[in-house]
Parts: sequence; structure tokens; C-alpha cells
Amino acid sequence: MAEIRGQSTFPGGSHPPENKQLSENASIQVIETPKQVAVLLSQHLGAPCVPTVAKREKVTAGQTIGTSDAFVSAPIHSPVNGTVKDITLQSHPVIGRTTAVIIDVDEEGNEPKQPVANQFTKDFDPTQYAVEDICKAVQEAGIVGMGGAGFPTRVKIEPNPAMPKEVLIINACECEPFITCDYRVMMEWTWQMMAGIRLAARAAGCNKIRIGIEDNKPEAIKLLQKCVAELGDVGDFTIVPVKTKYPQGGERQLIKAVWGKTVPTGSIPPTIGVCVLNVATCAAIAEAVVMGNPLTHRAVTVTGKAIAKPGNYYVPVGMRVEELIEHCGGMTDSAARVVLGGPMMGFAIADLSTPLTKTSGALSLLTKEDVTKAKYNKQQTPCIRCGRCLEVCPEHLNPTKIAHAVKYSKLELAQDYYMSACIECGCCSYVCPANIEVTGYIKTGKLLVARAKKKLG
Amino acid sequence: MLSKITVSPAPHISKKLSTQRVMLDVIIGLSPAMVAAIVFFRGQAALVLGVCVASCMASEWICNVIRKKPNSLFDLSAVLTGVILAMSLPPTAPWWMCIIGSAFAIIICKMLFGGLGSNVFNPAMAARVFLTASFGAFMTTWTIPATVGTVTHQEWGELRTMATISVQNTPTDETQLAAVTQATPLGWCKTVIRTQKKAAEAAQKRDDLQAKAAATENLADIASLKLKIEKQEAKVQKAKAEASEAYATLKAQVRKAFIGDVGGCLGETSALALLIGGIYLLIRRTISFHIPAAVLISAFVFAEVFYLVNPEKYSMPLLQLFGGGMLICAFFIATDPVTAPLSVKGMWIFGIGVGMLIMLIRFFGAYEEGVMFAVLIMNAFTPLIDRACKLVPAGGKPNVN
Repeated sequence: MAEIRGQSTFPGGSHPPENKQLSENASIQVIETPKQVAVLLSQHLGAPCVPTVAKREKVTAGQTIGTSDAFVSAPIHSPVNGTVKDITLQSHPVIGRTTAVIIDVDEEGNEPKQPVANQFTKDFDPTQYAVEDICKAVQEAGIVGMGGAGFPTRVKIEPNPAMPKEVLIINACECEPFITCDYRVMMEWTWQMMAGIRLAARAAGCNKIRIGIEDNKPEAIKLLQKCVAELGDVGDFTIVPVKTKYPQGGERQLIKAVWGKTVPTGSIPPTIGVCVLNVATCAAIAEAVVMGNPLTHRAVTVTGKAIAKPGNYYVPVGMRVEELIEHCGGMTDSAARVVLGGPMMGFAIADLSTPLTKTSGALSLLTKEDVTKAKYNKQQTPCIRCGRCLEVCPEHLNPTKIAHAVKYSKLELAQDYYMSACIECGCCSYVCPANIEVTGYIKTGKLLVARAKKKLG
Repeated sequence: MLSKITVSPAPHISKKLSTQRVMLDVIIGLSPAMVAAIVFFRGQAALVLGVCVASCMASEWICNVIRKKPNSLFDLSAVLTGVILAMSLPPTAPWWMCIIGSAFAIIICKMLFGGLGSNVFNPAMAARVFLTASFGAFMTTWTIPATVGTVTHQEWGELRTMATISVQNTPTDETQLAAVTQATPLGWCKTVIRTQKKAAEAAQKRDDLQAKAAATENLADIASLKLKIEKQEAKVQKAKAEASEAYATLKAQVRKAFIGDVGGCLGETSALALLIGGIYLLIRRTISFHIPAAVLISAFVFAEVFYLVNPEKYSMPLLQLFGGGMLICAFFIATDPVTAPLSVKGMWIFGIGVGMLIMLIRFFGAYEEGVMFAVLIMNAFTPLIDRACKLVPAGGKPNVN
């Protein structure tokens, strides 16, 4: 068969080593329920939840344990049957420390939850569900964008008369090196994901569906094309192979590649009539709408050259990193960095008791060789203005200028160079020959600006 | 085991590329030209190169010690400055001049500005300007390559008549002739123009005489005119022969300039070696094509315009590209990232500026070599260019409302 080659892409970007071979052929395995879970109450973008359970209270699997009245938020559910041991601060991979509900798992009646993919076929009919019901189910199930950002999905797919959505783009790129969980979801939970896509398109009122997928996953492209053909007459529904390049799976980059339009700076996709969802999110939507199951488990890739048994696992949200590492045979001696997420955008954690969240698609255990010796030893040399960061920046910014403005506390200058338009993909730091943490400085700058705004207002 | 685990902002992997590697690449890119220089100028070139590199490294080390900074010799930037400075010096440059130049480049132009990445001007070019201003005589003495072999006294006399630059000492015997001064390719060009002009003038005179002969009816006059015409015809033939000979020399010299067998600075001898090095840098993506392209295209267009307007006064554009420091400037000096603009648009403006300034200085300036001034002037404009070419984000300027 002729090789599939993606045609479209975005300007800029880089090609970090993919390293997907470590786990791409390992099917998603269900793992034993841990003895204790710590469910964080802030797993999404937006307002954190307040606990709805008290200490020593009994909870059941799927029970709501945290909610919020805010529009941009999503409820949190217990993944297991057990007793609330404590409600206390826990390490959070992104925001430092936050409140978590710690649940001691009951010894009995805690068979691990199984994936539901086998209950979906190609004959699934999305029209039997009303738009309001779909949105309500998605909201109640606490579904958030599972690709990493964690934006509440209901807000995205809800019909909005002010911004009608024309096209639903499914993000199947998985451009981060090492990660393979989305690939496995596509290969194994195909019909469940298809059902979710069609439900989301129905809710959002999109009559066009595009699946953007990098051409380094030819098997998945073929499978999805076959599936769409089998569905028969479902309207404008096509698979768009795109070039393999990081960050192809960035929302704005994917829209540019698949739909040819650019989302204006400081704006969101609905303003140009686009809605973007990740494949794992679509699978979760199908499960929530059809079975009424909340989002309590997800596929997670445990990978890297410093883990004994890399693979893809079906993991309860709230499981601690150390237990997952233990389950995968432990770290090898060469481990140099534990990253929740992929190596390009993931968060390095120091506290291994940090729990997994709805947005943790991967746990990467990197060796010193992966990190590179200079970066591991934090050897930064002066910027020689080589311009490599400008060349790779997918948002066409001047990363070194912004980073140095932040370094010398010139936040206004940094903003003047459009710091807020940075998507924090990490390409600039990746290519920097001087090993400067360009992205790190920019993130710090954004944080400082947000803090200053908070103080004023 | 856990003590080995570190945290830092994302990304957690990085490309295996270091400043040291970038500098090493440029040095590798310059190595064909260095080899060519050593082949053509033998020991003199090796001495200049060695002294420049060693004294640049020593200067950098001394500055590090005084400033109590970690040793920065391993980033190879001092080595590179030494190589570029050596390449822009004539092979006859005395060793003490090399040391003064290197110290000026590193201490004044680089370390006093804050070290690597902070200098405004290209250290090697600034040092060359400093040396030209201080020791003009040494900087404008060009030697013919050693490969030309021993020149006889008579040949030397001929060479001397063609040389545009005066010779300091008249050699007394053949042994001293090995390093005789010689016209650079740009000088050959002027010879061709002069002889061609002479031939044209002679032909014009003959035509005038013929016209006069046709107009007169006096037989005696016609006879004397015929004699004159014959004489003039001989002159025309001679002038034409001279012109074609000069043209042949020029052609041979252009070919030599391309391969490298001509007089000039160390890095100006071989266009071929410089091109090979430049292509290496482009393939390694150590430099982008924008600046070299902008420099060469703008210089060519500038020279072509002047050549078309007045071919007698201005030499062939291609010769301008392969002659002098044009190529080493386009590929190795103007592309110094520290002193060049960051954005693509800025690079074009910078490169065009450098190319035009080089030609302006060559055509109208007091110095034959415009590279150093052109680069320094554009270096001074770099911050302004960067500010003027501020990038617009991919999504356009954000809507203030």
C-alpha cells in the first residue's frame, strides 16, 4: 500500500525524537485498584471544586465528591468504593499544592473498572440523544479536555448562538514524543471514540467533521478511514493526515493545518467557527452519554527509558505516581526525571506521591541521556542571538527577546513582544544551543503578569 | 536513587546542540580557506593564524581571571575570533601586530561589552579597522602566493609596472623576490580597462585620418595621409594586442582568484574554498541563507548597475563577488549571530546594507577593502533593525478591545 503522507502543516516547529516504539504496540491494560487514591479538586481549567463529602464518609465509585457553581468548571467523582480518610493539601503537578479528597479503598467490592469499548459498534445512532441531554451528561460526568489543557468540554460543545460552530476537528495528532495513549485509544476503542465524535458534533451543531492525525501513525489512519467508509452516509466526515512535526497537536497549529484558518491572537477557536476535541475526550463523551459513567478512569502511557515495563494502562484518576511506577516494575537506576505528561510540555515532579489527574495522559521517566547532560546540570551559556528559537516558534514570536525581558524584570517589554500569545510548546528551549530555559522564563513572565493583575483588580 | 531526580520547567529534552558546536561548525567551515591560505602563503599564513588564535585565547583567559568568571575558552568563540581576524590580515602581518589586534578584538570589543553574546560590533572586524588605522603600511602590503615560485629580476620589473600598490623595498637579489608585492585581481581589472581604452583611442585616430583622406582631393596630401594611416594602423594593431593580452591575463586571474592563487589577505585568496565552507554551514544549518544571499545579491546588483552605466571606470560585477573579502564576509563575518539581526526581514535588510556599503566603499572610498567598515556600520544598525522588524504573531496583532 502506498505510504500515507500528510500534506498540510503549520509554519515553524521542531522534530524531537519520537520514541513512540517503547509503548505504541502495548494494548491498554487494566490495573489493580490501588489501596488509596487522592482525588485532586482542581483538575481542570477554571474554578476549583469544593468537596461535597466529609471526613470518614463512605463513598461509592462514580459518586460526586466535588462541585463548583462556576460556569467554567467540572465536577469531580470518586473512582472507587471506600471511605474518605482526609481532605487535605496534596502535591499537584501543575499548580503546586491543592486540596484533595483522600479515599481509603474498601477491601471488598473493588474489582478494577473495565473499559466499555466493546459495547459500541458501527450501528450506533447519535440522533437518539437530544442535544440538551448530551450537554447535561457531559457536564455531570465532569469531562474536561484530556489532551492536557483540561478545559471543561461542556463549555466547548454547548451550542452558542453568538458563535455558531461549523466544523468539529478531532485532535488525533499526539505530537508529544513518547506518548501513545491516544494512539491506543484510536486503535482499541475505535467505535466508542467514533460514537463520541458524532455525539459531540451533534451537540455542537457542526455539520463537518475532520480528524487531524500525524502521518507517523499509518495504521490508525487506515483504520479510521475504513471506519468512516463503513459508517456510510454520515455527512462531511474526513480523515486529514498532517505532517509529523511538533507541536502539530497544538490546537491553533492543528486548525491551521486542517482547516487552513488562523485563530486570531488572544482569541479562541469558536470565534472562527471551530471546535477542537481530543480523541480520549471523545471516548469519554460516548461513555458518559450512553452509560452515564463519570470520568474517573483514563488511558495513561507509562513510558521512558527509565521504567522497567513501559506500556499503556487504564488507570483510576487519583492514583499516585509512585504506585503506578511500582506497578510498572519500578524505576531503573538511570532515571533522572519524572515527568507527568510528555517530555516537551509535561511537568517534572519531585514528590512521587503526586496523584494523576484527568489530564495526565502520560508518565515519562527520562534518563540523563534524554534530558541531555548540559540541561541536567543546568549549564546555561549566554544567548548568542542565533535565532533558532524564532525559526521554530509556531506562533511566530521572538522567544529570546521575551525571555530576556522577563529575566531582567521588564514585564512591559515582554508583553509588548506578545508574551501572552505564547502557547508554551517548548520548541524554543528544545532547540536553544545555549540551553536557556526560554519557555520557563516566558511561563514565569505570564505568571508574574497574572499576579500583578490580580493585585490591581 | 531519588536524589538524582531533578525538576525544571518543560521541555525536559533538548536538541544535542551547544554553543560550542555552533562555533566549531563555523571553524570547520573556515578550514578549507585556512588550508588554502597555508598552501598559498606557506609558513607566513600558518604563523599569522597561530599567533592570532593563541593570543585571542590568552586574552579571553586573562579577562576571565580578572573578572573572576568561569573559564569560557571551551565555547570556542575566542578561537573563532582569532581565526576570522587572521583570515582578514595580509600574510606579511608581523607577529606583534597579530597580538595587538587579537587583544583589541577580545578585550576591548568583546569582554568590555560583557563577553560572548553582548558585543555590539564584530570583534575581528573592529580589530582589523583598528590595525588599519594604526599600522596602515603593513595592512596594505599584499604578497603573491609562494606557489608562484621564484620570480626573476626582469619578471619582477614587469610585475612592478602592473602593481597598483607601491613596493616598500626594491629587492636586490632573487631570494628576496619570493614575497614580492603584486596587484590584486581588482588591479588586473583596471589594467584591462586602461589598455582597451588605449586601443579604442588609436582606432578612433585612424578612422579620423581615413575620413580626412576621403575628403581631400590633393594627391600629395592623400599620399602623406596614407602613410600616416598605415602607421596608425600598426599602432592600433599593437594596442589591440596589448588589450587582448591584458584581457587574457585578467581571465586567467579571475580563474586563479576563484581557485585561490592570487594576492590578498589570508581569507581572500580562494573563493572556491570559501564557497565550500559556506555550503557546509548552510547544510549544517549553522547559518541561514538570508544574510549571504542578501549580501551577494545586493553587491552584484549595485556593481552591475555601475558597470552598465560606465564599464570603463567600474570593473566586472562577478569579479567584485569573488574578489577581496566579499565571500568570507557574506558567509562567515556578516552571519555572526551576535551582531546580526534576529528576524528574517531584519537579516535581509542587514545583508543588503552590508553588500551595498561594500560596493560603495570599493567604488568611492579611500580604502580598496570595504568589508570591515560595511560590517561595522551595519552592526551599529542591528538594534534599530531588530526594533523596526518586530515580529507579528501568527494570529495577527491582538485586538486591544
